[in-house]
Amino acid sequence: MSELEQINAALEEALEAAKAANQAKSVFLSNMSHDIRTPMNAIVGMTSIALSHIDEKARVQDCLLKIKTASMHLMSLVNDVLDMSRIDSGRLALNEEEFSLADLFHDIAVIVCPQAEQKNQMLQIDIGQILEENLIGDSLRLRQIMVNIIGNAVKYTQEDGEIKVQIRQYIQKDAADEGKKDTLILEFVCADNGIGMSKEFLDRIFVPFERVNNSTISKIEGTGLGMAIVKSLVDRMNGQISVDSKEGAGSRFVIQIPVTVADQSRRSISLPEGKTVLMAESRDTRVGQIEEYLKECGLTLVQVRSGLEAVTWLTEAQYENHMPCAMLLGQELSDMPVLELASHVRQLAGRDFPILLVSEEDWAQLEYRASRAGVNAFVPCPLFKSRLLETLSELIAHKAGTEEMTAGASEDFGQYRVLLVEDIELNQEIAVEMLSVTGVQVEVADNGKEALDKFERSPEGWYDIIFMDIQMPVMDGYEASKRIRALPRKDAESVWIVAMTANAFVEDIRLSRDAGMNEHCSKPVDPERLQEILRGRFL
Amino acid sequence: MQPYQEEYIANIKDIAVITAYRKENHCSCEEFYEQSLENRERAKELAKRNMKLLREGLFPVLDHIFDADQETLSELYDFAGQLLSGADELDGGLFCQIHRALLNLARLTKNRDKIIEELYWLGIGYYNICNKLVGLELSESRQYISQMRLCFAEAAAYIKYFDEIEDAQTRGYILRSRANMALGLFASPSEKIRMVKRTLQILQDKGYQEKEPDLPWDRYINMTHQQMAASISYSRESKMTPQDVADVMESVYIVYQKGMQEAALRHEKPPVRSRFSHCAIEHYCGLYDMKELLGRMEDLMDEADLTDFSANSMYGIISLPAFYCQFLNQYPEYLPEREEYLENLYCKIMDYVESFPEAAQNQTLYLYLRQLASTFVETKNSISYKEFILKLLMRFEPEIYLHSRVVGHASAAFCKIIIEEEPDFFDDIGMIKEASDPEEKRRLILDYAMEGGLLHDVGKFSFIVLYSQAARQWFEEEYEMAHLHTLVGETWLSERESTKRYADVALGHHCWYDGSRGYPDSYRRLECPYRQMIDIINLIDWMSTVMKSAGLYTGVERSFDETVETAITLDGRKFSPLLIARLRDPDVVERLRDAFTQGRKDAFRCLYDTQKGDSA
Repeated sequence: MSELEQINAALEEALEAAKAANQAKSVFLSNMSHDIRTPMNAIVGMTSIALSHIDEKARVQDCLLKIKTASMHLMSLVNDVLDMSRIDSGRLALNEEEFSLADLFHDIAVIVCPQAEQKNQMLQIDIGQILEENLIGDSLRLRQIMVNIIGNAVKYTQEDGEIKVQIRQYIQKDAADEGKKDTLILEFVCADNGIGMSKEFLDRIFVPFERVNNSTISKIEGTGLGMAIVKSLVDRMNGQISVDSKEGAGSRFVIQIPVTVADQSRRSISLPEGKTVLMAESRDTRVGQIEEYLKECGLTLVQVRSGLEAVTWLTEAQYENHMPCAMLLGQELSDMPVLELASHVRQLAGRDFPILLVSEEDWAQLEYRASRAGVNAFVPCPLFKSRLLETLSELIAHKAGTEEMTAGASEDFGQYRVLLVEDIELNQEIAVEMLSVTGVQVEVADNGKEALDKFERSPEGWYDIIFMDIQMPVMDGYEASKRIRALPRKDAESVWIVAMTANAFVEDIRLSRDAGMNEHCSKPVDPERLQEILRGRFL
Repeated sequence: MQPYQEEYIANIKDIAVITAYRKENHCSCEEFYEQSLENRERAKELAKRNMKLLREGLFPVLDHIFDADQETLSELYDFAGQLLSGADELDGGLFCQIHRALLNLARLTKNRDKIIEELYWLGIGYYNICNKLVGLELSESRQYISQMRLCFAEAAAYIKYFDEIEDAQTRGYILRSRANMALGLFASPSEKIRMVKRTLQILQDKGYQEKEPDLPWDRYINMTHQQMAASISYSRESKMTPQDVADVMESVYIVYQKGMQEAALRHEKPPVRSRFSHCAIEHYCGLYDMKELLGRMEDLMDEADLTDFSANSMYGIISLPAFYCQFLNQYPEYLPEREEYLENLYCKIMDYVESFPEAAQNQTLYLYLRQLASTFVETKNSISYKEFILKLLMRFEPEIYLHSRVVGHASAAFCKIIIEEEPDFFDDIGMIKEASDPEEKRRLILDYAMEGGLLHDVGKFSFIVLYSQAARQWFEEEYEMAHLHTLVGETWLSERESTKRYADVALGHHCWYDGSRGYPDSYRRLECPYRQMIDIINLIDWMSTVMKSAGLYTGVERSFDETVETAITLDGRKFSPLLIARLRDPDVVERLRDAFTQGRKDAFRCLYDTQKGDSA
């Protein structure tokens, strides 16, 4: 072939490539105009409906929520286009920040699990060998990659389908040979049994603006940029991505990304060897894994599947003085919601007994109810060994601390000062005992008048909380609270006042609020409730 | 007991009598109205007095419970025993409060026997709550069932240390707790049957019996067999395994034989309950089909003596028909040829209730009627469910009936005002939009408002002690429980033709307009075609509640003008701005004021006309 012919051939190839790219861009523009128009239609339509029902607040609110959803979708389209443009122009910078792999995968699960649930798909996330959890890298972009891949699996897998995600770490052979221990390979595999891809599409999957086009998925929206962005991000991270797929059988993505290990300032794990941990969980999927983790630390796991079994087991254990060192509450019980059990176990086993919730749920949604039910800590799923063991270790150490030094602080409340207003000496003694375990400094007043005097004489900000009995001689709790609130000093308004009384009518709670009290604590006082109030106030 | 405790209990009993709205013979409607208002005030005074008694008598004791001497604790315990005894409930909420405090004390003092005893009683308290939630899905009542079962399970766990526990009474509590673990709803009958079976194994174990021969083992065993036999009542045929049927069958025969023997000694027929269980289990064993079972049930029901007001007779006249209806609901193919029988049966039941002496005070009658209310089958010519349920309200919850009638009356009046200006205001409701004749449309709207108002609170029938017979203000947890009346109401109304169109009213009338607050979460205002009407009933119900009838429960009571002012401040949040805009018009306010006044009179007139005259 002559030089000229070679040049011509190269030019033709370039021309074909340019034409293909141009066509892909045209398709993209056509798709985008459709994709943008859809949410825009919703926004315009909903705005009109809202305007025509402007007096109906609830209807307007509904329209605004729909507008918000459509806007967010629109925003994600625009973001994809911007990301691609940044990548193309080389302007995308990756962050190098420390992050926790456990948190990263919990966040991913919180995003993708509800999507899979909606389609009744079985989404399983397995955590394999994890050498280091605290890593350095761009966790936001890692999340973007993985959410994109799993999100596509959910999108392109039929209802009731299966998606399996596996994560593991290993040391790259050449790095190991060179003695480099600060670099690991994070491997992420996502396999589904969805619609799969044709050989032709597979060749173009990472080309920008391409997306699977067939009748079953014609309603699926997207820019067709997702996989191109994923590929570019993986490349920028010096990683690799590969995909196997068969039409009608499913797809399997494998990503390997090198990650840097963060400074090893790990919390030390100290667990009481030979002890038992009780796990209340009716699903077996995670129990084996937890059992293995605990076994490595010399702990034995006992699984119960129902709330009734758990309570029976704990009652016997308490009676025979072989209480487990902690209880793990799983996702589900065969007979009741897990938090109902937590609440009863807290009463049965006492305030120091560690109760951990191991769950796929979003902790932000659960925290209030779980804390009220007596749960001490949360271990997110997918489950990471170090997260589980560190949390367990912390709680057990804390329990041991409070057992050894009853006068020591169970939380770090040493800098706070509490005024306990109570007329009965025995009640004073009990409450002081309960409070002092938490480390707070307790002062006592015998009635409302004395409390008022003490508060008036104290420097501003001296007391952080006042626990106020209601029925007292000389001056009752309502009156004392009102007078404290009326004092002309800054902390009169801000000091936290908690009513401590057996008066539990709705009206009593209202009266205590009317008198300026912030919270209500029923008598006889439950130590856990006291702790909860202190935690709620100080932490 | 302490004098304050005795007075508290006497006041509760007085309130139950006063709030029954009994009509003395020959009194006029006006006299009845005056008397009822006086009684209502008297009931309020007694309830206030009760709260004072608790504040001054009980709460200081609970405040200082660590300091309380043995005698005080023992009095407290006796007091609680009076508040809830068997099926007789005077104040189940206070019962739980006291036992919770005693359990807390027992745990802190590490008194094992006391812990067991208090767990048992607290479990009983929760069981009483579960009983109120009959008809609700397990998911709605699960919280209370779990609390109950956890208490019993903890107490029952001490069975392992039976030998070490010396106190016979404590051993009794352990065994009773073990048996009570099977109370309440289960996700599957097998689960319950397994649990009862295990209890029977324990109770029949000679080893345990020899250790404590003085315990009433026969009674425990018989009651547990009864519990097993009762599994028939709620288990669906398809969900029972052959092993379940065999286990239940054994218990049914034992209970039946025992009933036969005891009845023979008294020269009577065995109790209807065990005869029915016997028939039912023979059906489940395949000895005869559903048609035959229904026929045998009819024979048992036909034997009933309408002048006999014993528990056995009540069972045959009301509870058995409830099971009969349950079967007809499950197998509607058997209904057509039984419609006439069912229609007569309902008439018989209503006559029986009408002639029942002091019906409102009889808790067994009330519980059986509530059972029938949850399984009732409507036919073309039978008393409608709507009518049936309203009669029950009048008889057992007259205060709620009065309130509901006022709400219906005032809601209809408000609708009238609205459609004068906007005839299409309710056109989201299909049947109203379809009405082409304006007069017909108007009638449909006003009828819906009236009936919706009348039925919006039917769910309260499950919580009688919290409402008509309330003898004090609610505790916070009772306030939460009362929220469930919306779900009970919706469940009951949605299943019958004559009431299903009002189910959304029962469900949604406590939800805030903007969705920010209120209950339950399952009501989706914007998806409900009846929402405009529900907004009205929500507003009128709230106005009626804060003005008159239920100030006792919330501690809030306002005049009509204050109520209107407050409603305006909740514009767009709790109440629809479309309605509040009208409340800003003085003419509308006056018309509404008049509607409330007239509604109250009309409600009393209806109650007067239907209450039978009692001798003073």
